[in-house]
Amino acid sequence: MSLEIASAVTGSTATITLVGELDAASAPAFREAIEKATTGAPNRLVLELGGLSFMASAGLRVLIFAKQKLGTGVSLYVVAPQAPVLDTLEKTGFVQSVYVVASAPT
Amino acid sequence: MTRAMAASRFDATLDALPAIRDLVRNGATAAGLDPATVYHLVLAVDEFATNIVLHGYAENGLTGPIDVSVGQHDDVVRVVIEDDAVPFDPSARPLPDDADLHKPLQERSVGGLGILLAFEGVHEHSYSRTGDRNRNEFRVSRAAPSQTGAAGRHALR
Repeated sequence: MSLEIASAVTGSTATITLVGELDAASAPAFREAIEKATTGAPNRLVLELGGLSFMASAGLRVLIFAKQKLGTGVSLYVVAPQAPVLDTLEKTGFVQSVYVVASAPT
Repeated sequence: MTRAMAASRFDATLDALPAIRDLVRNGATAAGLDPATVYHLVLAVDEFATNIVLHGYAENGLTGPIDVSVGQHDDVVRVVIEDDAVPFDPSARPLPDDADLHKPLQERSVGGLGILLAFEGVHEHSYSRTGDRNRNEFRVSRAAPSQTGAAGRHALR
């Protein structure tokens, strides 16, 4: 399964929705989507992950890239990750740097 | 009883990763592993295959095959990954330690996370070099819980 990426910017919130599998082959497209969606200097980056069934460490590296590019003033939300993806975020300590929520912040 | 569940040869490119995952997912599921254990095994193989493609082959200007097979012997499911790249043991790469894992993302370096995840998900791993081939083997037990994370601790130096 490949990765489908959708992006939307509403006010100061950039939202990226991922469906499918995020691996080393698809991670560059995810990174590009973040770069495009955040050119307007949003203060929130929301990642809708309910449809993401697999995430390798290449996905984690994109999250590191996002956090380092956007700086501490931008909050990173991870919405509705599936259990194995959440497990990966927990094992690697990423849950301490992102907000894991059940539905998108309003 | 020993059974071969699935085996295939792939070109060592990142584009082969989805097909490699499908092979392992289907073979491990057919061998009777629970979904969480299957996921961890698939993740481990994906991370190692990625390392083999990038660090075994591409970094050295090489191309070649990755052979992946899934087999079962009694309650143990075994995945073997073989390649013809330079001698390369992914488990010898430095891993993040606890202090690294507690750093905010702004201060993180990007190395080692994949191998760390691979070791968290399988019960045993071994690496060997025979002739011109690298051989990585993962083993998980159907009887053991999926999240022991025991493999890496023993494989690490």
